Amino acid sequence: MSDVAPAVRLRGIGKRFPGVIANDDINIDVARGTIHAIVGENGAGKSTLMKILYGVQAPDSGTIDIAGTQVSLGSPADAIKHGVGMVFQHFQLADNFTVLENVVLGAEKLHGIGSAAREEIVRISDAYGLGVEPDQLVEDLGVGARQRVEILKVLYRGAKVIILDEPTAVLVPQEVDELFGNLRELKAEGLSVIFISHKLDEVLSIADEITVIRRGTTVATVDPAGTTSRELAELMVGSELPSPSTEASTVTERVTLHVADLGLPGENRPLLEAVSFDIHAGEVLGIAGVEGNGQAELVEAIMGMRPGATGTVRLAGQDLTELSTRKRREAGIGYIPEDRHRHGLLLDAPLWENRVLGHQTRKPWVRRGLIDRGASRTDTQRIVEDYDVRTPGVDTLARALSGGNQQKLIVGREMSGDPILLIAAHPTRGVDVGAQAAIWGHIKEARRQGLAVLLISADLDELIGLSDRIEVILRGRLVGSFDPGQVTPEQLGSAMTGAGGAA
Amino acid sequence: MSAVTRRLPRLWWLGAAVLVLLAISVLRVVTGAEDLASSGTVRATLIALVPIMLAGLGGLWSERAGVVNIGLEGMMVLGTYGAGYFGYHYGAWAGVAGALLMGAIGGLIHATATVVFGVDHIISGVAINIIAVGAVQYLASLTFVGLPGGGQTQSPKLDNVGSITIGPLSDALGEVEDQNIFFVSELAAVARAMVTNLSLLVVLAFVLLFVTYWVLWRTSFGLRLRSTGESPSAAESLGVAVLRYKFVAVLISGALAGLAGGFLAMVASSNYRDGQTGGRGYIGLAAMIFGNWRPGGLLAGSGLFGYTQTLGLRQGGTSVHALLLAVAVLAIGLAGYQLWRKQVRLAVGILVAAAALITVYAAIDVVPGDFVNITPYVVTLLVLAFASQRLRMPAADGQVYRRGSAG
Repeated sequence: MSDVAPAVRLRGIGKRFPGVIANDDINIDVARGTIHAIVGENGAGKSTLMKILYGVQAPDSGTIDIAGTQVSLGSPADAIKHGVGMVFQHFQLADNFTVLENVVLGAEKLHGIGSAAREEIVRISDAYGLGVEPDQLVEDLGVGARQRVEILKVLYRGAKVIILDEPTAVLVPQEVDELFGNLRELKAEGLSVIFISHKLDEVLSIADEITVIRRGTTVATVDPAGTTSRELAELMVGSELPSPSTEASTVTERVTLHVADLGLPGENRPLLEAVSFDIHAGEVLGIAGVEGNGQAELVEAIMGMRPGATGTVRLAGQDLTELSTRKRREAGIGYIPEDRHRHGLLLDAPLWENRVLGHQTRKPWVRRGLIDRGASRTDTQRIVEDYDVRTPGVDTLARALSGGNQQKLIVGREMSGDPILLIAAHPTRGVDVGAQAAIWGHIKEARRQGLAVLLISADLDELIGLSDRIEVILRGRLVGSFDPGQVTPEQLGSAMTGAGGAA
Repeated sequence: MSAVTRRLPRLWWLGAAVLVLLAISVLRVVTGAEDLASSGTVRATLIALVPIMLAGLGGLWSERAGVVNIGLEGMMVLGTYGAGYFGYHYGAWAGVAGALLMGAIGGLIHATATVVFGVDHIISGVAINIIAVGAVQYLASLTFVGLPGGGQTQSPKLDNVGSITIGPLSDALGEVEDQNIFFVSELAAVARAMVTNLSLLVVLAFVLLFVTYWVLWRTSFGLRLRSTGESPSAAESLGVAVLRYKFVAVLISGALAGLAGGFLAMVASSNYRDGQTGGRGYIGLAAMIFGNWRPGGLLAGSGLFGYTQTLGLRQGGTSVHALLLAVAVLAIGLAGYQLWRKQVRLAVGILVAAAALITVYAAIDVVPGDFVNITPYVVTLLVLAFASQRLRMPAADGQVYRRGSAG
């Protein structure tokens, strides 16, 4: 396209896994000193492509040119040597190490592991406004700071090409703005940034060029100036983008969940303090907050998973405070956990066993304390059909399903216990657009049926679209109540970081 | 902020040692159990402590690289034989080398199984413990039968490595110790043990403790090795050859455990004997866990176990009897702390236990021998039960890692 060789040129990249074609004939040019976005649904093959470019996996076919020279990347060390650095979606940091240790790991030869390295980190941090302190423990850092450590790690190695995999998935709007500020500084220094995302508005605002990937192959490269997010979405999925917005209010007078003065002591400060709210039947209450401000603890306290929690929890008049988690579930709580791999599923168990999980005391799939396989499989088949779980069969291992299908199975299971309260923690995190629309549909359906829904999400559009009311949580306290009809993501973002007042 | 709260004062261990010695002095005066801190006890404690510490160091190397090594016991057993065979045929230092080598062979098996083939760490370790005992019995009957003083269950008498004695200083300190001055005598006893018949292997063990600290926490090799135990996928994403570091760590772990076994055969005793390790590999592992996967803590843990074991052997009944009182006082202090944290139920429970201990202390004069022998093991259990609340093991400890898991 131009006279100068592009920073990265990919030609005909292909990668097959048993039974899946992850990448097929991928062609991308990333020009020097630009931000190049790569968009596509989850499972479209973006992550595989980036692992290939970072040398984690080897391609089956195709060529990679970096700065005009063809290279073969057999390991991350090779990629680093050629000036390619990567910031993974799931941060690759050792929590119990300091920032310094995390940064110098693997690059000890550059500046040692002592004071010279510390000076270099401070220098880079100051040069790009990253605000990173070398001697802090990573586990004490927030999500935004961890991401800046990841970026610093890459810069420390002298990378010329920086890959960011879904960098905004975990950030609030203000942090996203800061990140974009940082990226523009990198661009100004002549570095090339490859930015992977499925948030189209962000992509349109930051990228100089956008490549769309669908089903493992590049379908188009577009200029953001002449493109709308709707057009991008259609390129991505080949159909219209769904929206989370709900219909007319179904909120009733009946209080389903009553939480009063919930507290949870922590190491330095309380994890939860004086949290009180009601959720009525047919109402969706959204909880907005920066990760680590007590959302997870709130959910776990309501579920009875946190010893030491104080205060009262009543479900439709029944006092749950002294009950175990199982009794609470039996009282009518459905729970979509935040981390489906850790809490929602047994990855190496078949779907029908996962169906019984959490319902292991209930008929008809359990009789006289023994599991009735036949009934369980029949009912799992029903969930698979009703909730559109795409799977070869109910004997498939949960691990083999994509994130979206795993999540649909969990939603189906939790809705099958006749709950009156549904707790959904990040229900659409890491699922593709199709599954996201389906899950939104199920939450709306639950609301129509008169369930009370507690929705935790980092996706502010999702919160605003689905909720009847939004409470903001900050350092374990509810600090403001918002009407989703009135509030903008920016206002919510300010309240979440404690910058703005409550409406 | 956190960096400040976490960091202990520079010479905290020295202060802690002085406090412990002071407590023992008080206990001696109160209970009249004279052997609590005699130089003989200190010397015996050093001998008892070193194998536990070396085994724990082995565990530290391995677990810092994310491989649980329950096979330390088996590697120690291999070490005892290695010391016996090579020590008899080629001299004392060859025995040391043989112990290291045999232990490293155990480590090689464990590393191959867990790191290369992804076998569960516990299963591999337990298998090594079982195989090592059988292998050593077989080798002993093959190589020691017919030698002077050797047989199926023991080797001939072995040469010892040299030891250090500074005569005049030792005598002078001995006189101070005999004066029975509060605290001063105890201090003298400790110092005297350091300058009288101090085995070179004891010195070597402490050097290894320091070298371990320095290598793991002050070199880039150590940083990489620890990173494979904290977050192997992060390490791999930065180009660290994770499996190679794990493999090396387990090899070193085995060699150190082997040296622990060799120490038992050559210094703590004077020949290889069947069943010589007596579960010290497990206690070493416990000492390491008690020490929060740090060398300093590991030393404290080994000291505790070594000391209680020694008390059992020297006027055991009286000394352990005195220890009961110390534990009771500690328990009362702990109960007060829990009361301050408003954990009333827990505090009451601990107080009841303390009262029971005091009752026992008042009711008998000497703890019966069988109970004395189990003291180190009871202490292991108790200490771990209390300490495990605040421990932090390497984040990826015990997990099998496969290459290509990064990202």
